[in-house]
Amino acid sequence: MISRVADHCFWFGRYVERAEATARMLDATLRLSLDGELSTENVWRPLIVVAGEEARYAASTERPSEALWTDRDVVARFLTWNHDCGTALINSVRAARWNAQAIRDVLSSEVWEATNDLYLYARDPSTEQQWRQAPTAVYQQVRNKTQLTLGLLRSTMLHDEAMDFMWLGVLLERVSQTARLLDVHHHTLVHVDGDSPVIKTAVWSALLQSLSGTEAFMKRNAGRVSADGVAAFLIFEPQFPRSVAYCIASALSRLSDIRPPHEEHLPGGASLMRLSALHAWLAAQRRLPVAEIDVHALLTRVVEAVHAICDDLAAELLGAAAPDGNSNQ
Amino acid sequence: MSLFAGYPHLANTFDELLDPRAPFDRAAFRSMLDALSPDEFARAQALAERDLLHSGVTFSVIGDASGTEKIFPFCALPRAIAAAEFARLERGLVQRVTALQAFLADVYGPQQILAAGVIPRELVLGATTYRAALHGVVPPQGVRIHIAGIDLIRDGEGTWRVLEDNVRTPSGVSYVLENREVTKRIFPRILDAARVHRVDTYPAQLAAALRSVAPTATSPDGGLRAGEEPTIAVLTPGPFNSAYFEHPFLARTMGLLLVQAADLYVANDQVWVRTTRGPQRIDVLYRRTDEDFLDPEVFRADSMLGVPGMMRAYRAGNLALANAPGNGIADDKAIYPFVPDMIRYYLGEAPLLEQVPTYVCLRDDDRRYVVDHLDELVVKAVDEAGGYGMLMGPSASRDERDEFRARIIANPRRYIAQHRVELSTCPTWNPETKTLVPRRVDLRPYIVTGKDGSWVLPGGLTRVALRPGSYVVNSSQGGGSKDTWVLK
Repeated sequence: MISRVADHCFWFGRYVERAEATARMLDATLRLSLDGELSTENVWRPLIVVAGEEARYAASTERPSEALWTDRDVVARFLTWNHDCGTALINSVRAARWNAQAIRDVLSSEVWEATNDLYLYARDPSTEQQWRQAPTAVYQQVRNKTQLTLGLLRSTMLHDEAMDFMWLGVLLERVSQTARLLDVHHHTLVHVDGDSPVIKTAVWSALLQSLSGTEAFMKRNAGRVSADGVAAFLIFEPQFPRSVAYCIASALSRLSDIRPPHEEHLPGGASLMRLSALHAWLAAQRRLPVAEIDVHALLTRVVEAVHAICDDLAAELLGAAAPDGNSNQ
Repeated sequence: MSLFAGYPHLANTFDELLDPRAPFDRAAFRSMLDALSPDEFARAQALAERDLLHSGVTFSVIGDASGTEKIFPFCALPRAIAAAEFARLERGLVQRVTALQAFLADVYGPQQILAAGVIPRELVLGATTYRAALHGVVPPQGVRIHIAGIDLIRDGEGTWRVLEDNVRTPSGVSYVLENREVTKRIFPRILDAARVHRVDTYPAQLAAALRSVAPTATSPDGGLRAGEEPTIAVLTPGPFNSAYFEHPFLARTMGLLLVQAADLYVANDQVWVRTTRGPQRIDVLYRRTDEDFLDPEVFRADSMLGVPGMMRAYRAGNLALANAPGNGIADDKAIYPFVPDMIRYYLGEAPLLEQVPTYVCLRDDDRRYVVDHLDELVVKAVDEAGGYGMLMGPSASRDERDEFRARIIANPRRYIAQHRVELSTCPTWNPETKTLVPRRVDLRPYIVTGKDGSWVLPGGLTRVALRPGSYVVNSSQGGGSKDTWVLK
């Protein structure tokens, strides 16, 4: 397929997934902060930090630094509606739809209409009004609509290379989201005063909730919530579709369909090699005792490796560096 | 209250749906429409608009940086054409496209029509739309006008006339197909009762025509071998083009690749597309990029939408371009008055379609008449389209007329003039008064031509001037569209 089209497919997948992840994360954080045991800053600041938006957030609120984190609505509004915030929900929705428009010929009409519908919903002024009254309902709608898009992808389109690129985008985005969220919550707990098991459990539950993993986790751990347990589950659980290990294994299988390992004449070799290496390294980590794992270091390494894989993909397959053939110019 | 009650017919104007001079074979569907109440119609209209917005049938507004998209205004009340009438139009349209193709082959070849004095030599060879660089180039399978959009209007007596030819990159066919889908949803029973020709065969017809013109092997490494499937792609200038909606629509419905210039390059006089599995050869390009921008080596050097070397591949016979570059001379408004002569000259037949009598300002007698009668005439610049560069004499101010007079005298080759035709009307929904009002319409039928002949899409795009009293149907100037029903 055309490299530029593959690029749009990849980013379409990433932005749909990012829109969903953002809605999920905001919803869970909102619920956590309503329980009132943690300060607004403890709950919301990590989200801004993960997004790399601290400076822009401070500038957009025009508040003195001591009042930056006193109002959760201000933070939530920034992460949901602010056009200048790169990771704001509205911007992911916009970018998903923009990429869909560029590959309108690749998508089935149903996928396009679902994506367009998500965009029209997010853009409608009455949605923002509703958000002021009941933000959770809006996040729920966004999740439903992104899930509809992803479901229609599987059920109405050819399972061909275009689809592989879209899912590769979804999966790599999901790895980053899970890894960053886990890292941030880990960090939060270190900074929470005291050692209240109630609060710790609340934070871990919110994290599981924001990854739709509460029920799955309870099944695996018979209701025992612990820091090590949640971290191990979200990193290694091979059957949970949002764990780091699951996403990397699935991404590797998609990339191997796009660029079969034995077809060495095709572009994509470096991307494939790097992703295989990450997969193998993670498998080796799983064999270590949980207590010996430095969660922060492991997650940092995952996030950096995924970043490097995306750069390789862009250069090798997605047309960022044009292949040979311009000899006549 | 019935829908058509109190419909204010315009004097001296033909009405497409309600004129007693053109009774349809079956009036059943009209009485079904008439039986709708204004509220029922308003609901159908609202449903149609919501449908179009949700399926993303929009065009980008030129010059609007915020990326605003609008739905192409749609009136739910259809326009109908009787079977026998359309059959007659069909023959006339095929005749016209055949003559225009013969004209192009001639002026880029032996130039016999110029030698015979049927068309003034300087009118052709001096035109900016004539590409001297393409003289002697024969396109694959000899086809030049793969897709034509011939704009038709009807005068006060109901006579069909050709208003202008579009044989470069005519657009709008996607709206024809989408409008029909909307009608199926809002008026299923009425559509059924009317027994209407389907329009959704267009993509298959066009794909077959494009396949038929694929270049055959001319050199050891170029062209198609026997049994090989050609690779066909739609070339779009990109999502910022106002007609972008149509480009992926066509690619998708034909199952073809949609490419942008940056995806393509030329090597060994072949066009290649960069793919995730290396380069792939392109045999046929349905290009929706203006020819000025196609190849910076030959046309505009500043084009960012072009592919350097594309014309070398075309010249070498390794690439079919639909439509062929150089076609602009055939739909030049200054050549239009000579099309009936062309038909007689090349085909030895009488023209089947009337056109609008036209003054060619390059001729001394015509020019003198035009500058003295500007208040009765419509003046058009020959090299502009979309309703731009026009003077509507009867409604223009004195200053506007004086300005055009000066322009015509300074550059007579650039202008033609016609008497204003009382375009036919069609009942059109006015959302404010919730009534039907007469609004002027035209019709753009689409003619698809491959190696083995031409096919006419039953119907075409009916464009309607939504502003009261307006004669300009272009979407850039407040026009909308209607579904067009050719009755069986």
